[in-house]
Amino acid sequence: MFLLAFRNLIRRPLRNGLTVAGLAIAVAVLVCLSSFGNGYKRALSAEVDRMGVQLMLVPLGCPYDAAARVLKGRALEFSLPESALAEARRDAAVAVAVAAPLLLAALPRPQAGRADMWAGIDESALELKPWWQAKAGQKWFLNEHSAILGADAAEVELRSPGDRLYSPEAQYELRVAGVLQRSGTSDDSLFFVPLKTAQQMFKLPGRLTAVAIRLHDPSLLRAASARLQRIPGAQVVTLTEMMGTFLNLVGAVRTLLFSIALVAIAISVLSVFNTLLAAVLERTGELSVMRAIGASRWQILGLITTEAVLLTGLGSIGGILLALFVGRGIENLVKELVPLAPEQSLLSPTTNILLETAAMGIVMGVLGGLYPAWRACRHHPAEALKAE
Amino acid sequence: MRRLLFAGALVVAVCVAFVGWRTVGVLSSDTFTESKAKPPEAAPLCPWREPETDLKAFFPDATRYHGETRILSGLRLELSERLGRPPTGDENALRVNRAYRNEIPLGSILTRRVKGDYGAIELVLVTDTNRNVRGLRLQRLREPEPIASALQDPKWLGSFVGKRAEDLWRPGKDMPDVPPEAQSSAGAVIDGVRSLLILLTAADESQTKNLAEAHHR
Repeated sequence: MFLLAFRNLIRRPLRNGLTVAGLAIAVAVLVCLSSFGNGYKRALSAEVDRMGVQLMLVPLGCPYDAAARVLKGRALEFSLPESALAEARRDAAVAVAVAAPLLLAALPRPQAGRADMWAGIDESALELKPWWQAKAGQKWFLNEHSAILGADAAEVELRSPGDRLYSPEAQYELRVAGVLQRSGTSDDSLFFVPLKTAQQMFKLPGRLTAVAIRLHDPSLLRAASARLQRIPGAQVVTLTEMMGTFLNLVGAVRTLLFSIALVAIAISVLSVFNTLLAAVLERTGELSVMRAIGASRWQILGLITTEAVLLTGLGSIGGILLALFVGRGIENLVKELVPLAPEQSLLSPTTNILLETAAMGIVMGVLGGLYPAWRACRHHPAEALKAE
Repeated sequence: MRRLLFAGALVVAVCVAFVGWRTVGVLSSDTFTESKAKPPEAAPLCPWREPETDLKAFFPDATRYHGETRILSGLRLELSERLGRPPTGDENALRVNRAYRNEIPLGSILTRRVKGDYGAIELVLVTDTNRNVRGLRLQRLREPEPIASALQDPKWLGSFVGKRAEDLWRPGKDMPDVPPEAQSSAGAVIDGVRSLLILLTAADESQTKNLAEAHHR
């Protein structure tokens, strides 16, 4: 029966081929979206782990907006008192291992059609940035008038170690101490200067944009968060909370995309339905002859259902292969849609995802083939042969 | 069966082409500038930041402009001779914006980053159809005030007008002098303008030669 069903399918190669292709595309989209859900969560966790930060002290306001801006290397309108850093570092009860102050400033350059992004940091930043490697020169400041440039910033400004760098807006001259290797993070486009220099340049003495905190023992997160929350003018945002917020946002995007994929699958099922129904109507005489020479209704039902399974099975396998083949390209599209897209690959297809999607494709296809199969087995041999 | 294979291949080709197009779109700037492996002197592609304003200023009667990328990697030997140094990585290609009044060409606009003393200086060079300099604007620089003023002095910028690639460009002789503190950055600007004119000349000559050869065939 399997062979017979296969032969029936290849009798109409173009029609069946297009049906299989349509189903394959729908399945591919579904596989990719399911994989991205897993991949995004995994990649975001890895990125947060790599940062080694569990908490962030930010100025009062929307904590998630503030933390997202800091992570993306963007400036905040408000600032923290430097005393917040001292208090966080002093608090032994919360076992603060590293508290890295940050002063981020965006200096708009309307004439140049861009904004310079400056970050003031102190030595503790090195503990939180294990990926920092100097591509040229030093990876730390030589004095208070030196700057470290991200890879893109150095490339755009044509700077190398020893070159001078001037900020026309802050009217401050610096000497480039080093250029960092490309890290794929927001650091690539930043100009780093010593914290005190940044405070002086941007006329914000004693102020900070944020304090990034790593704990000795991450299990103390809740207690640490509660204590740090009491620091005046500051609020705490935990990276876990932030990750949850981003995952919710991504979840919303994913639900939307899933709906589109399901519509595509529904259209494919209708296409299977249409293909099989057309095949059954075309082969009325042939099916009647089969009935006349002894084929039972169940056998006819089985034949058409097998054709449906073959059609959707091929579509599902094709879709999985397509997803594995073109997934990277679709990933680029998805990365443009999701917030805080990690640099790592988001595509993470598991065996479960592949099996579930294939099963779903086949089941939906079989459902689409039920009516044509029922219609085929209802043919009365005598009437059909008379009409012939 | 052949038709089935053809249809399947067609669908897959369309999908691959679409995804490939998106992927290349994301990577194109990196691939084009090859910036990751280059020393800073080979600058990434310099954007033309204010096309409308520049067109209005230099070609007031222009109705449109059209950008084209000319690949010069086949002319490296010739360029080395003309420039007096090996071409940098970013000189393997030249982005030329041609200004038109309806269909009549009016001239070209080119952009380039050069290494100033305190940061990159972005040039907008405007030439007429004979590749004589029609105007020069510094669209971005981060030099301190005395140097910035000297470089943006209309008299100094105006001294480039009428210059051609084959002219002499000696500062203080063929070009007006600038204060000592601005000489290094001014030298970079002069070298950048001259290099652009050489690249443009080579690109145009190569195109003319290719068209002539095609015509003969």
